[in-house]
Amino acid sequence: MHDVRFTGEDILARQLELAEANYRRLREKHVRSISVLGAIGSGKTTLVEQAIDRLRGRGLRVATIAADSAGDDDHRRFLARGAKSVNVNTQDDCHLDAHTVDHALDALPLEEVDVLFIENVGNLICPADFPLGADAEVVVISVTEGDDMVRKHPKIFAQTDFVVVNKVDLAPAVGVDPKRIVDDYSAVNPHGKLFLTSLRRGEGLDELLDALGLGCTSTQW
Amino acid sequence: MHEYAVVDELIGALVPRLAEHPGRVRAVVVRKGELRILSDHALVNAFEILARGTRLEGADLVVETVATAVSCPACGYQGPTGRFGGEGDHFSIPVLSCPQCGSDVRVDAGRELYVDHVTLSDDSTANG
Repeated sequence: MHDVRFTGEDILARQLELAEANYRRLREKHVRSISVLGAIGSGKTTLVEQAIDRLRGRGLRVATIAADSAGDDDHRRFLARGAKSVNVNTQDDCHLDAHTVDHALDALPLEEVDVLFIENVGNLICPADFPLGADAEVVVISVTEGDDMVRKHPKIFAQTDFVVVNKVDLAPAVGVDPKRIVDDYSAVNPHGKLFLTSLRRGEGLDELLDALGLGCTSTQW
Repeated sequence: MHEYAVVDELIGALVPRLAEHPGRVRAVVVRKGELRILSDHALVNAFEILARGTRLEGADLVVETVATAVSCPACGYQGPTGRFGGEGDHFSIPVLSCPQCGSDVRVDAGRELYVDHVTLSDDSTANG
């Protein structure tokens, strides 16, 4: 018996390289990119829809990559808001990867884009290990999933710097105290930023967009 | 079950690198940072299935965990973090903050995922 030792290169090195290439490509075109992930039905698509409107009001042009297992429902919603959009079906894959994003970028006129939202497949866990090359990552959860979401997925939240807790207007109806989510999050991630939102009403979104640095025209980055 | 995608990358990268090393592959030892969100059990299952028909068929996948270590740009602390949870049946996780001064920290260990070594036996045909 004998051992062959390796240099410690990451198993996902190919993915990391592709993610870095996406990052550089978007930077060169002065596109600010935000990856949005979270559980099914938490409000990811509504967040992006509202952000398209809000950022247009700030003089920014938004494009989207809409990923779902199947269908083009989200993609159509983004087009209806006036965004340039690419639809991606991951079929049986539970996550987007950097290679898929690279192809999606080919289909977007990046010169005419200031902000790109990449909406991942509805899944809180699997996308976490697959970097896409975005500037920032936002995890969206909602109070209707229960006030123990952070406690149940602490590793995700310990490493996520922007968290949206959506549907806070429904908290009394589902018997959830958002403060518990806030407290859990600050315990697992003392340096992260959490935003309580009611996205259907457009509440809490401006604070998130400001924190993401999407406050003014693209000349800043 | 994104472990299948991870193991697929692992096998794709490892098989060509073993081409110059004859012998039967007995074990593939992977080191996984504790911050990675990957199930050891699912990795082992995925490996058993995806290795079929490759040079790695029949080898054991061994997953070793690497503990989290951080360094603090504010006070110079280097070492392990404080932990969250751990009471009752819950496992605990590292809190990425300086245990000494509370500042944001740099992660030095805990996010890695790599093949450390592969153990080969010198015969390439025997089963035992």
